[in-house]
Amino acid sequence: MESPLKQLLQQGPIAINLGLQIFAASLEIQAIEVIHVNWAPPAGGDPELMAILDELL
Amino acid sequence: MGTGKNKDLLREIGVLGSEAAGASPQDLIIALKADSKEVLDEILKNIDLWLQPATESRARVSVRTLEEARHRQPRSNLTVISIPGEYAAREARKALELGLSVFLFSDHVSLEEEIFLKKLAREKGLIVMGPDCGTALIGGVGIGFANRVRRGPIGVIGGSGTGIQEFTSLVHRAGSGISHAIGTGSRDFSDAVGGLSFLSALEGLEEDPGTKIIAILSKPPGKAALTALLPRISACRKPVITCFLGFRERLWPNGGRFKEVRTLDEAASLAVQAVSETAPPLLSFDSRLLEEWTQKERNGKASAQKFIRGLFAGGTFCYQAQQVLREQGIEVYSNAPLPGNPELPDPFSSRKHSLVDLGADEFTDRRPHPMIDSRVRCERILKEGEDPHVAVLLLDIILGFNSAPDPAGDLVPAILAAKGTASRRGGSLSVVASVCGTDEDPQDLKRQVRRLEEAGALVFPSSAQAAGAAAFLAKRL
Repeated sequence: MESPLKQLLQQGPIAINLGLQIFAASLEIQAIEVIHVNWAPPAGGDPELMAILDELL
Repeated sequence: MGTGKNKDLLREIGVLGSEAAGASPQDLIIALKADSKEVLDEILKNIDLWLQPATESRARVSVRTLEEARHRQPRSNLTVISIPGEYAAREARKALELGLSVFLFSDHVSLEEEIFLKKLAREKGLIVMGPDCGTALIGGVGIGFANRVRRGPIGVIGGSGTGIQEFTSLVHRAGSGISHAIGTGSRDFSDAVGGLSFLSALEGLEEDPGTKIIAILSKPPGKAALTALLPRISACRKPVITCFLGFRERLWPNGGRFKEVRTLDEAASLAVQAVSETAPPLLSFDSRLLEEWTQKERNGKASAQKFIRGLFAGGTFCYQAQQVLREQGIEVYSNAPLPGNPELPDPFSSRKHSLVDLGADEFTDRRPHPMIDSRVRCERILKEGEDPHVAVLLLDIILGFNSAPDPAGDLVPAILAAKGTASRRGGSLSVVASVCGTDEDPQDLKRQVRRLEEAGALVFPSSAQAAGAAAFLAKRL
């Protein structure tokens, strides 16, 4: 089976974007499928709660 | 975002009210400083409007997690991550576990996290480009800060975003094209990371039927990393060009299909030559034009004017220019010095010949990068103009996706003001600039060059050439 990296290079990117929305927009301009995640820090950004969440999930 | 860092910044500049102080990282803080209440009212009146998305698009389908996005778009194969560094590794790990490669623009990801992520990626046949990865071109698609370049047979692996941008733009301008340009992040070639992403990229390009030759661009690798990687590079079935900026040892004394070059220009030129049946247009400047320009610029100088001040948006350009000047016997100070060069004691204040990387942490901590916001560079241009010992300003302009819409135009008022200051003192300030980009970039390459030329700058298609011209003049003062 082809490695996922090889597939990425052959097929081109189909992207998920987390963070700067301009990065998603510039992919859209290039006619690339991209979905932008309306991301926010989990657990309100509390590092201890995030660690607990990571343990649970 | 109401993160601790952002609130510290607001406190420092005196706009952190009690409401903002209580904000969490999930809150958006809008802080304003205005000259009058009318201005404030005007802004506040429109703020809801400005926060609405300009256009509806598929990318703005409202999903809140990576898992949800993957569910909505199951054929996804790449995650582009530019969230704050303290959260980035967590999301990158999730992406890898979902079977997605990662373009990790975020910086401030720890070395331990980087190694963990890259090992995980290799186990899964994926790649992590980054952290601190600015640029990639995958199958002709620019990711992050990338230029529009035609597709072609040249593959690239690069440790720096601007290095990839310069190389790929020069290849395009010389008539050839890029199969893929894979960023690794600046620490990948360190001894600690050992080129984990580089190895994945090399394997990928070696197997890629569209790649005929591979260029490797980086600052010098760590000694142990290089020793470990050289046998793998030597075993590559395709021709390889290595460009390790500032590296003085010879890697391929026997030549063959492995070649080494000193600058990004040479790498681009050699790569195009290797894949073209006809010789590419030379990426060298017209020496007669340079001599005429130098003669003219020398005539206007006051006797105190001796020094070059390079103000760079691209870290790689700052680094490469130091190498070019060193080869001309010119010692330079820098906030990001080439090994063996003196470090600027205060990055905010130049001395003698100085080349300053304005994208370095001390200039970009909680401030926008100079590729998207020229204010810090404009202020510094004005400051250098006030120094009677400054003879030449050396600048880089970087076009492409996500860069400022008019990066040359943004600098013109400061260039003209600095030139005016020098001429009022009885001297003249020379300006040498390079424009990294292609005729297909959204900023309009020709217009960018014209704006600089109209402001009295001598403009080159590459940063190494611009540095060479600055050195040529400085040595004759």
